[in-house]
Amino acid sequence: MTATLERHAPEPRTGPPALDVRGVSKVFGTGQDAVVALDGVDLSVAPGEFVCLLGASGCGKSTLLNLVAGLDRPTSGTVETTSARPAVMFQEAALLPWLDAGRNVELPLRLAGIGRAQRRERAQELLALVRLEGQADKRPHELSGGMRQRVALARALAAATGLGGEGKSREEAGVLLMDEPFGALDAITRDVLQAELLRVWEATGTTVLFVTHDVRESVRLAERVVLLSSRPGRVVREWATSTDTDAEELHGDITGELREVISAHGR
Amino acid sequence: MAAESTTATDEERPGPTDDAIDVGRGLDALDTPTEQRTPLWKRFLTGVVPPIVAVVLFVVVWQILWASAIWPEFKLPSPEAVFGTIGQDFAEGRAFDIIWTSISRAVLGFLLAVVVATPLGLLVATVPLVRSAIGPILTGLQSLPSVAWVPAAVLWFGLTDATIYFVVLMGAVPSIANGLVSGIDQVPPLLPRVGFAMGASRSQSARLIMLPAALPGFLGGLKQGWAFSWRSLMAAEIIATSPSLGFGLGAYLNEGQSLSDMPSVMAAILLILIVGIGVELLFFRPAELRVLRARGLATGP
Ligand SMILES: Nc1ncnc2c1ncn2[C@@H]1O[C@H](COP(=O)(O)OP(=O)(O)O)[C@@H](O)[C@H]1O
Ligand SMILES: [Mg+2]
Repeated sequence: MTATLERHAPEPRTGPPALDVRGVSKVFGTGQDAVVALDGVDLSVAPGEFVCLLGASGCGKSTLLNLVAGLDRPTSGTVETTSARPAVMFQEAALLPWLDAGRNVELPLRLAGIGRAQRRERAQELLALVRLEGQADKRPHELSGGMRQRVALARALAAATGLGGEGKSREEAGVLLMDEPFGALDAITRDVLQAELLRVWEATGTTVLFVTHDVRESVRLAERVVLLSSRPGRVVREWATSTDTDAEELHGDITGELREVISAHGR
Repeated sequence: MAAESTTATDEERPGPTDDAIDVGRGLDALDTPTEQRTPLWKRFLTGVVPPIVAVVLFVVVWQILWASAIWPEFKLPSPEAVFGTIGQDFAEGRAFDIIWTSISRAVLGFLLAVVVATPLGLLVATVPLVRSAIGPILTGLQSLPSVAWVPAAVLWFGLTDATIYFVVLMGAVPSIANGLVSGIDQVPPLLPRVGFAMGASRSQSARLIMLPAALPGFLGGLKQGWAFSWRSLMAAEIIATSPSLGFGLGAYLNEGQSLSDMPSVMAAILLILIVGIGVELLFFRPAELRVLRARGLATGP
């Protein structure tokens, strides 16, 4: 029996990449203590594509994501994005505890100077998208971990897509950067949220760059899995998935390669 | 039912099956934290009754000690004499003037301290050079009893209101500024990062993220600042007495001592205690509870 992936065939992607990383290196510190976190990384993600960045702990995944997010600068190389500002999501929901769920989702719109009524409406829409309709007036501490992470997803979507709206092109659907967003959740909740994320991605057409160290998660979610080596971080290999990909076989392949990369450090 | 039929398009949309949606809904229902509100009578029973019982017991012990006449009357007056003095002062209207003199000074001094301490705290918290320069001094000042400033203040400003306010400021400013600093220090670094990633400017980040996030610490500092304002004021009023300074609770206490009028001395101490605790219970405690409860941080009733 083969378990094929549950996703629909993607439309062909055209136009310039949503994000383009060219020859990016990142060195922390100087002299003897210098840590080369990334070394000549090339990565290009098409508009609307879902890419997983996979690698062992400490290989520079978060570093790369921070560079793409504009939270840090590369030592050399360039990062280009078509959308003005990619939205970021972390392992912790990082909601503002004094604001209710609705106002947390509104925050990026408020920062962009969008009026009260409009951002309210948009927040309701996005909360409904992550199946939290009617929870807008709950504070973060009144929500479960999985619900908080969905509020964070709605907020990231607000940041990535602004007021959204019908008939927007892929380029305007925004870029979502996710750094192990489900890493702190229990297995059942993680499973549900992975399905939710796929649904939201297909509904919005948002470009997603998703960081994980979990091979199974990457195989389930991504259209393309990019494996990063450790110290220095380099792109080792890529796998494209499609609807008729055998998930188990792909999982085996990637795991094998990942073990190979990791054990290279032990020799 | 007509409204329901529009959801039929859901079936054509890719995504989880009904089964998966049910699992998601079930998880939400199971994992949502439940807040347990203690009923009002229980909060009354555990929060209000014990202190009342303690006070009653204290007065009973006092009465017994007085009745046993171990100490002479001028050292330990009866509860009746002390409460009688307080009652008489209120009946004559004198008590209101005395209390008002002190409270208005303490409140004005406290507000001045807030105005001085807030920018100071912001500077210390955000500018590393300022922090290393005056951070330790600010912490040191917090443990210096502000009564130590009274002689200096009298020499600088004479027996004027300036002396009183100076001592109050020296007492309250370090607490309030340090409260703000620790409030800002305790903001999880992820919050401003997320704000920046969402496009917040520096001023937006300060206004919409850092300051509200630092509010619990700041409120703690304000509460302590009030306590220090009140203490410092009493120290100043007891030591620096002069007709030009008006007649507050401290001066009342001082007068009691010079007249060897023990009931007045104890009445003054009681009033000082009641005003200090009263302001905290009426203003600071509810504000703090509100802020903490909104963030799910409140513990206890
Ligand atoms: N701010 C920093 N200063 C120094 N070294 C860092 C810093 N951030 C990350 N590193 C180092 O860079 C490497 C990659 O880190 P990171 O990107 O967090 O890994 P990952 O997210 O893949 O687990 C690690 O060896 C880490 O120690
Ligand atoms: Mg990481």
